[in-house]
Amino acid sequence: MSNVVVLDNGGGLLKAGAGGDLDPSVIIPNCLYRPLSAKKWLHPSPISISTTATAATEPSSDLDLTSASVRRPIDRGYLINPDLQRDIWSHLFTSLLHVNPSNSSLLLTEPLFTLPSIQRATDELVFEDFNFASLYVSDSPSLVHFYEASRRPTSLLSRAQCSLVVDCGFSFTHAAPVFQNFTLNYAVKRIDLGGKALTNYLKELVSYRALNVMDETFIMDDVKERLCFVSLNVPRDLQIARKSGKENFFRCTYVLPDGVSYTRGFVKNPDDAKRYLSLSDEKVSSPSLGVKKDVIELDVSEKTEDKKRIDLTKNEFDLTNERFLVPEMIFHPADLGMNQAGLAECIVRAVNSCHPHLHPVLYESIVLTGGSTLFHNFAERLEKELRPLVPDECQVKITTQEDPILGSWRGGSLLASSPSFEAMCVTKAEYEELGSARCRKRFLH
Amino acid sequence: MDDDSTNPFRRMSSRTRKVAPKMVAALASSDNRTQAALARLEALENDNAGVEVVENIDDEDASLDDDDQAYIKRQSKGTKRKTRQAKALEAKKAPKTFMELLHEANLESLPPHVPSYLKAAVGPPSSTSRRHFCTVCGFAASYTCIRCGIRFCSSRCQNIHNDTRCLKFVA
Repeated sequence: MSNVVVLDNGGGLLKAGAGGDLDPSVIIPNCLYRPLSAKKWLHPSPISISTTATAATEPSSDLDLTSASVRRPIDRGYLINPDLQRDIWSHLFTSLLHVNPSNSSLLLTEPLFTLPSIQRATDELVFEDFNFASLYVSDSPSLVHFYEASRRPTSLLSRAQCSLVVDCGFSFTHAAPVFQNFTLNYAVKRIDLGGKALTNYLKELVSYRALNVMDETFIMDDVKERLCFVSLNVPRDLQIARKSGKENFFRCTYVLPDGVSYTRGFVKNPDDAKRYLSLSDEKVSSPSLGVKKDVIELDVSEKTEDKKRIDLTKNEFDLTNERFLVPEMIFHPADLGMNQAGLAECIVRAVNSCHPHLHPVLYESIVLTGGSTLFHNFAERLEKELRPLVPDECQVKITTQEDPILGSWRGGSLLASSPSFEAMCVTKAEYEELGSARCRKRFLH
Repeated sequence: MDDDSTNPFRRMSSRTRKVAPKMVAALASSDNRTQAALARLEALENDNAGVEVVENIDDEDASLDDDDQAYIKRQSKGTKRKTRQAKALEAKKAPKTFMELLHEANLESLPPHVPSYLKAAVGPPSSTSRRHFCTVCGFAASYTCIRCGIRFCSSRCQNIHNDTRCLKFVA
């Protein structure tokens, strides 16, 4: 019984593969969808790993996902629809991974503070529906810590066996202190905002200002991943976004799929879309703007022509301030009307709930993980907001993972290949003997 | 929404209207603005914006009928209508929402030192006050709509707001 299936069952993406591998062999959106052309709910096809760094949710290339409706087994991060999850898992195990559950172990990630009823449903799914030989349940912060600690054995994080994992995923955002590979759950703080809410917020803004995209979950996910970024200076960027023509560094056009010549939306002028990058280097942009203008002057007439075409065809829209106001909500949920503190304050509160001896170490080993941290400038902005809130004598050091989406899976894979893994699992026999609640005690949740 | 309270016929109908639960709360509460804001936050977690719309459409369908017509229609539809048992079965089959599960778990009853989902929430912000962005164009908004409380930045945006969104409770 050597093979271990490592399954990071995220609300947005499901990452699965064999324990010990470097990368998961399958990444699929954890949902079923129904495009307009189909009558049945379909399984999304797997995403190739090479694309995850640039665009996380890229469904199958040939299928037109315009106005596709979605069913997700996970709501607000927690498994609420075990029947749907069973469908997705059985597709995963039989058609994609080709494993036989009855002679393999499962390492499963579960969000922090999973309700007992949901834990019971998960155990039933694993042992009774799929007949796995044994199960180990872990949470994503401890796996991310485990991975980072083993990857950089000389770092402070590894020597102190202590880190603060900021997991900004699809459903919510957690700031979780980890100590000796255990998440200190009394100190974990959560913001109820993740990638899903951001996509929906972008949908709402575009639908009101340009054209109705309320049904276009997959397209707007793509728009968010390609075009949104985190602003380092919101008032300045708002000023720039107000300008017209080429002085506006943020304006860019996204073309919606038309279903005939292309089934995937795209950014009209990718160079335009990247112009904000030049901005972040310059402290004050006004003097250099004059220089830029000369170079670009000749395009202006073409630009007005473009605008005319927007009105005619109605299948593309412009984004300006939406590009940075959407990720901005993670830093200031209050702007949305949520009564929750922003990410920087969330981290400070999580650290303050720990023992004072840990504070300096935690601030110095902050690890960012989760797909929503992929926004450009996310770490820089976080450091900028965090520094004033942290005591002077502490250093702030934020580490970004090389692939934040896969962070916890890789940790899980590493853990599954460690020699003591077998002993940590709960076997099917133990489950049948003791029941779900007793077995759970072993995982110390 | 105002029509509802003034029109006596609407009131007398025994049919329960199918409206999203948060929206019902928003309409029933005296403090509509905060309720509407909550409903909107709830909507940010929706998977499909379309699902609710479908519900509303068949709801409107029914509410358009006059009272007597509705009666005839109900009889003619009789065979298609689901029995109460079937409905109850369907309700059982439908997965519970996370909020229902959370309510069932009764986390409030745990002793205060036990960490739980509720206690892990980060809590209200301390220092920074809310920044307001114009709901029409997205820039800093200095004015508030006197009817619905939504923000806008200029008279141009105010006009757009009044024409499209005022009192519709979608911020």
